[in-house]
Amino acid sequence: MSDASAFSFRAPTDESPLVRRALIGVAVLGLGLLVGAPLVAVFAEALKQGWLAALKSLGNRDALSAIWLTLTIAAISVPLNAVFGIAAAWLITRFDFRGKAFLITLIDLPFSVSPVVAGLCIVLMFGANSLLGGWLVAQGFPIVFALPGIVLATVFITFPFIARELIPVMIEQGRAEEEAALTLGAGGWHLFRTVTLPNIRWALLYGVLLCNARAMGEFGAVAVVSGKIRGQTATMPITIEMLYNEYLSVAAFSLAAVLTLLALVTLLAKTVLERRHADQIAATHRH
Amino acid sequence: MGRPLYQRSPMPGLGLSAGITLTMLSIVVLLPVGALLAKGVSFGPGNLWDVVNRERVWSALFLSFRLSFFAAIFNLVFGTLLAWVLVRYRFAGRRLLDAAVDLPFALPTAVAGIALTALYAPNGVLGGLAQQIGWKIAYTQTGILIALVFVGLPFVARTVQPVVEEIEREVEEASATLGASRLTTLRRVILPMLAPAALTGFALALARAVGEYGSVIFIAGNIPLKTEIAPLLIVIQLEEFNYDAAAAIGIAMLTISFAMLLAINLIQIWSRRRIGYV
Repeated sequence: MSDASAFSFRAPTDESPLVRRALIGVAVLGLGLLVGAPLVAVFAEALKQGWLAALKSLGNRDALSAIWLTLTIAAISVPLNAVFGIAAAWLITRFDFRGKAFLITLIDLPFSVSPVVAGLCIVLMFGANSLLGGWLVAQGFPIVFALPGIVLATVFITFPFIARELIPVMIEQGRAEEEAALTLGAGGWHLFRTVTLPNIRWALLYGVLLCNARAMGEFGAVAVVSGKIRGQTATMPITIEMLYNEYLSVAAFSLAAVLTLLALVTLLAKTVLERRHADQIAATHRH
Repeated sequence: MGRPLYQRSPMPGLGLSAGITLTMLSIVVLLPVGALLAKGVSFGPGNLWDVVNRERVWSALFLSFRLSFFAAIFNLVFGTLLAWVLVRYRFAGRRLLDAAVDLPFALPTAVAGIALTALYAPNGVLGGLAQQIGWKIAYTQTGILIALVFVGLPFVARTVQPVVEEIEREVEEASATLGASRLTTLRRVILPMLAPAALTGFALALARAVGEYGSVIFIAGNIPLKTEIAPLLIVIQLEEFNYDAAAAIGIAMLTISFAMLLAINLIQIWSRRRIGYV
């Protein structure tokens, strides 16, 4: 490729060293300002009054309940989405039927809906003054301003994540292996566990990672459906907002730092997956 | 149209996978979106229009769309540059830079929002510097623009990157042999190849920015007619339990989103016809 730099001669398809250096400089500076600076700011603000203050604010009862709630929501929504993603990818890649493109469009729909509008939709469908929501409240099972609503909002926002990772991989792998297993007499579950799952596990893990990061960090949709009840429906991002608006900067940024660490771990795991299992992850992510 | 509705297949699990897919799709997405549209219908088109046709709503919709457009334009240029630098050049820290491009996808929007505000507020590091030259960033439209650039950053870079990887050096060599300068090759040969993917990324970044809420509200200042974004108006209406008005603004935003989804698909069809891949 661009091994020309080893010689003092420049290939006609290379930019001059000056242009090259300028472009790299712009990229580094731009990303540094846009991405690096906010990252540093989170930790700097969290540690403004030292480690002790930061840790103490995380030990606060509201903070702990927010962390617990966020973990609970991710623990429910991510598996739900994994089940959906596998089912949808199986349906789309293993069968031929009319309207497939339309089905894919519907699955992608949440990508183009504002999180706030997504929350609004769930409030209108399941809120106490809707037909269904009113009945559910009367049965003692409220959805909006309670855990089920937050889970619904989170699943809505992350809906396409896992399906989108699995579909290209399963198209690429084709049906031959599964058809061979079928002729050899394998049953449905046996076939899925021994043939399909080993082929899609890295793509599935990749999708789960992205889905989980988004599920734990979702703000707009959850802000609308949660009712922001402290200690009950305030997730980590919502608690960050409340603390920030109360000028409790250290507490807000300490909680934010925890989520930032999660984002960094996610990125690291994602990079490792991309490097080690590039051939088993969706084609669009290969680089 | 002669194609049958469903082609028989020996593959197991049709009923189960179709059942799970359609049930979840209905409960999570279709019914709630349907509830919004139903609310709009029962409220009536005249009333819908009355809600949207107010100065505060228009100015919020226009602000969201205009700033999202500018942010997406910035990302179109910067994202293409990033893709080029990350694929073509080898330098220390390239892998770190590559990973950093994805941070806006992974970082929760509320975290990004307060971090950007801390940086660009008058008492923040960068905001303080800007203030010395009389430039206010946080709590102005510039601040909103920065937040929208942040959330849209990965889209163009990530859609263009694989295309840069696939460019064959021979094409550039041919162009150079025929006497084209590097700049001419870039303009006439390389950029046209990148354009479809870059445009797709642009549309994705635009769509994301128009609906963005979490990273914007902290830095925006939220002054009506000046720095108030459209999603915030919905939240305000909901806090006042004004569901009809919230639904009206929601439908207006949904319409904009669908128009953009349509545009993305048209761009993809157009570029596939022109180049053969995206």
